Amino acid sequence: MENIKEDLRQYILDEFLPGESASNLKDDTPLRSSGILDSVATLKTVTFVEERYGIEVEAHEASVENFDTIEAIEALVKSKKG
Amino acid sequence: MDLELSEQQQQLQKAAIEFAQKELADDLIRRDRDQVFSAEGWKKCADFGALGLPVPAEYGGMGLGITDVIAVMEGLGYGARDHGLLFSINAHLWTNSLPILKFGTEEQKRKYLPGLSNGELIGANGASEPNSGSDIFSMRTHAERRGDTYVLNGTKTFVSNAPVANLFAVYATLDPKLGSMGITGFLVERDTPGLTVSRHLEKMGLRTSPMAELIFDNCVIPASNRLGREGRGVNVFESSMEWERGCILANYLGLMRRQLENCIAHVRNRKQFGQPIGKFQSIANKIVDMKVRLDACRPLVYRIGWLKEQGKSAMMEASVAKLFVSESLVSSCMDALQIYGGYGFMVEQGIERELRDALGSTLYSGTSEIQRNVIAKCLGI
Ligand SMILES: Cc1cc2nc3c(=O)[nH]c(=O)nc-3n(C[C@H](O)[C@H](O)[C@H](O)COP(=O)(O)OP(=O)(O)OC[C@H]3O[C@@H](n4cnc5c(N)ncnc54)[C@H](O)[C@@H]3O)c2cc1C
Repeated sequence: MENIKEDLRQYILDEFLPGESASNLKDDTPLRSSGILDSVATLKTVTFVEERYGIEVEAHEASVENFDTIEAIEALVKSKKG
Repeated sequence: MDLELSEQQQQLQKAAIEFAQKELADDLIRRDRDQVFSAEGWKKCADFGALGLPVPAEYGGMGLGITDVIAVMEGLGYGARDHGLLFSINAHLWTNSLPILKFGTEEQKRKYLPGLSNGELIGANGASEPNSGSDIFSMRTHAERRGDTYVLNGTKTFVSNAPVANLFAVYATLDPKLGSMGITGFLVERDTPGLTVSRHLEKMGLRTSPMAELIFDNCVIPASNRLGREGRGVNVFESSMEWERGCILANYLGLMRRQLENCIAHVRNRKQFGQPIGKFQSIANKIVDMKVRLDACRPLVYRIGWLKEQGKSAMMEASVAKLFVSESLVSSCMDALQIYGGYGFMVEQGIERELRDALGSTLYSGTSEIQRNVIAKCLGI
């Protein structure tokens, strides 16, 4: 579980910010409101966390608040994993 | 990445060329003018196996891997003149059969894939709407869950194959407020009450591939006809676009190769000012440009197959190929037309039809501008 944030950071860097340094993508860097994740990229990220952590995210849970930062996504994953 | 076709792929391609040259050449000028889809050609393609190329044998298809499919498609593109029919086959395969194969339930696969592969069923895909084209996920067609059913309301436009199709893969939103997380895929049979296949749309090119609008007016479908999970239609749609962008282009590799060969033969034979026109450098240069484009296009298309066979995403590579190959095809047609002079302008020669057909390729499956946007996004810009 400890690696959720790092997994997410690596995934977002690889998929949506190629070439960007990991140090520039902080736990609280805005993802949705900054445009790093558009709606299609958010859906890809949702699919990634579902497959990676064996959880199911409902449509209404993929809100801007739940997916706006790495720490928010981690909180959602943790709450789902119980 | 190995660009050489295996012996088996070479044989598949050769068979596709021979089949298309022999069986798909009938009466094209009239059919293109009168916008006639060839039901006979469709059946012949089914018998040849073209309608089930990537579909596993247990569902009635040939079970080929993507690189094999690309090799066959390249052969069909080389041999067939009727690129409208090939376009219809691509729409059927990549936006209907393949999504069912990848996202369908076992029941949906058993119910539809055998018929889609043997030519009994024709598939189509309704995503575009009058107010949602490039911005596809702003669609308004609405799906409401009611018990064991969904009720669809809305209009889809530019639906290739619609006038002849029996099965539609349709995308609708559960709630526009959910954005792309609300988009969901559905399978709708043609005779479902509440679905009307509306006016036939006349096109500039690909005229033997029929197109129409779909109107859903309280169209009730069983919940078991949902394709994939609720709110995951974008995954279904994007996956089919990735395949379509890759495989449809393989036809154009074949077409560009045939055009190049024909043009070389023509510039050797056609004499003006006492010498073959190929001896004029400005004509030879056009041939050279055609050759360079073709050689640049081929690896881009086969790279998609190679990546997908390794289970990797080919999102950006499919867009790179779609952008470059479609624009190269238009340039190749323009060069061929100029090389043939006045003869190229004549309907009988077929180049003007190929040019009209080619122009569609920079629009469908995402316009060139949208491909550039996808690539820029993938580069993190
Ligand atoms: C032959 C053919 C077959 C088709 N078959 C099908 C089918 O079977 N099913 C289906 O659902 N649809 C189908 N389509 C529809 C096709 O997918 C759309 O035409 C395409 O997505 C473009 O949408 P649009 O026509 O509404 O143009 P618009 O989205 O209105 O675009 C108009 C112009 O603006 C540009 N533009 C738009 N947004 C941007 C942007 N963000 N950045 C830069 N430029 C932009 C476009 O590139 C284009 O040049 C088909 C189209 C054609 C031509």
